[in-house]
Amino acid sequence: MSVEVAGVAKHYGRTRAVDDVTFTAGNGILGLLGPNGAGKTTLLRMLATVLAPDSGTLRLLGRDPGNTTQRTQLRRRLGYLPQEPGFHRGFSAFAFVDYVAILKEHTERRARHDEVRRVLRVVGLEEVAGRRIRALSGGMRRRVALAQALLGDPALLVLDEPTAGLDPEQRLRFRELVSRLAEHRTVVLSTHQTEDVAALCQRVLVMDHGRVLLDGPPGEVAAVAAGRMWMSSEPPAGALLSWRTAEGRWRNLGTPPAGAELAAPTVEDGYLLLVGVPERKAIA
Amino acid sequence: MTTWHVDPELLARYARGEVAETQAFSVEAHLPTCAHCRSALGPLTDRERHERVWLEVVDDLDAGQSTWVERLLVRLGVAGHSARLLAATPSLRGSWLAAVAVALGFAVVAAHGGHDGLVVFLLLAPVLPVAGVAAAYGPGIDPTYEVGVAAPMSGSRLLLLRSVAVLIVTTVLAGVAAVLLPGIGWEAIAWLLPALGLTLVTLALATATGPLRAAGLVALAWAGVAWAVWRLTDDGFALFGQAGQLTMVFLAVASAAVVAARRDRFDQGGAR
Repeated sequence: MSVEVAGVAKHYGRTRAVDDVTFTAGNGILGLLGPNGAGKTTLLRMLATVLAPDSGTLRLLGRDPGNTTQRTQLRRRLGYLPQEPGFHRGFSAFAFVDYVAILKEHTERRARHDEVRRVLRVVGLEEVAGRRIRALSGGMRRRVALAQALLGDPALLVLDEPTAGLDPEQRLRFRELVSRLAEHRTVVLSTHQTEDVAALCQRVLVMDHGRVLLDGPPGEVAAVAAGRMWMSSEPPAGALLSWRTAEGRWRNLGTPPAGAELAAPTVEDGYLLLVGVPERKAIA
Repeated sequence: MTTWHVDPELLARYARGEVAETQAFSVEAHLPTCAHCRSALGPLTDRERHERVWLEVVDDLDAGQSTWVERLLVRLGVAGHSARLLAATPSLRGSWLAAVAVALGFAVVAAHGGHDGLVVFLLLAPVLPVAGVAAAYGPGIDPTYEVGVAAPMSGSRLLLLRSVAVLIVTTVLAGVAAVLLPGIGWEAIAWLLPALGLTLVTLALATATGPLRAAGLVALAWAGVAWAVWRLTDDGFALFGQAGQLTMVFLAVASAAVVAARRDRFDQGGAR
């Protein structure tokens, strides 16, 4: 297993950001799904060796990130895309990725530049390599940040909300890229997008308040809402959530009335039930 | 249509890259207008050399224009990859260095006003590298900090590399300012050891608090000690006497030992 997490916890003052989380992951894509403050970013930062856990054990690619030597070895095979990657003012896309390549110990100029060109080509940015980052669109900047994570062909990719800020076409391209990458490596990503989870991930951890609520394939998340989704022509009184669909009918989440027309649940439906719907809201 | 052609022997040497730059420029100015010389050059060109030169051109185009700091560092003999790491240091940017120069300028003007002004210069000069170290690397300072922490190059190495660069640059600026002090005497260099000592104390403290907070604490402590010594001795220069300088040597050595022992602390990020 590339990722072994056992009883890991992290506190910020009195807040338990990650609370007794345990899971393992091998090759393929593992998605972390949860609302803001669920603990996804804290968990990913620990997987990226940026943050040490307060308790519990982590083994990544067979190494202990708490050990200095093993942590350095691990970082050589790790790619990390933070939630809000920053860029140095005035750097071009090429110069930025080149800068990170130096931090990743690619010191020989020619080989490093070949590698920078490779990852920029992978994310489809070779044409704008020389352009200043501040002149690039948000989606392009996201892809520049993704390019640096791919340097050195890492065995473990940790991606924090990689599809944030991407337009629909870019998201589809990202899915294609990550699916291919995950054939021979472990990708752990966090997202708010249930469509990304359904389309990409072999497994998903649904998190809330630092805890794992469900660990299984996306179908298992959808199954949580089995028998609890129904369609109606009018907004019902007892639903937890109701929204009018494009066809003009109402899709309802909650306990269906007798004889209701049940609908096939989606990952989003199951996710909403798992993280809780605080109050009944009508979304028209 | 030109009737003049490049001498075959010169063309052969040009193809091998064995001509002086001025001769190469002449040949290159002629070639675009002369099909005869272009066709004569083709068979003389070493394919391997041609490929290598072409790759270098592509590489330079991709790499683009580097910043003036990076170009300057490379000219001074710093390795290209180290120069790029240093060029990204916030406290080596032109705007930062200009602010340091202005602060020193005011201190020099104050020093020309009398004894107290000279003491202000001596108190200010050691704090500038401390501020530079605080702005060299760390969360909230370096926009790529998070990515950098997850990279195999250790954070301590990057911080020390940048701190040394900041210390050197700030020392040079303060040295130039010191030359402008009235009646240059021992005071012109009295700030050197305090600058080194305070910078190392900042780095040592940064292993526990991070560079930004460490610099703030050190600057406050320095100001407090200076004020207390000045009041107690009624001599602004007392802090820079023999006892003060020896204390700074001790602090520098002790802090260097702390940094060496706790350098791993720079290799993981903190809370966000």
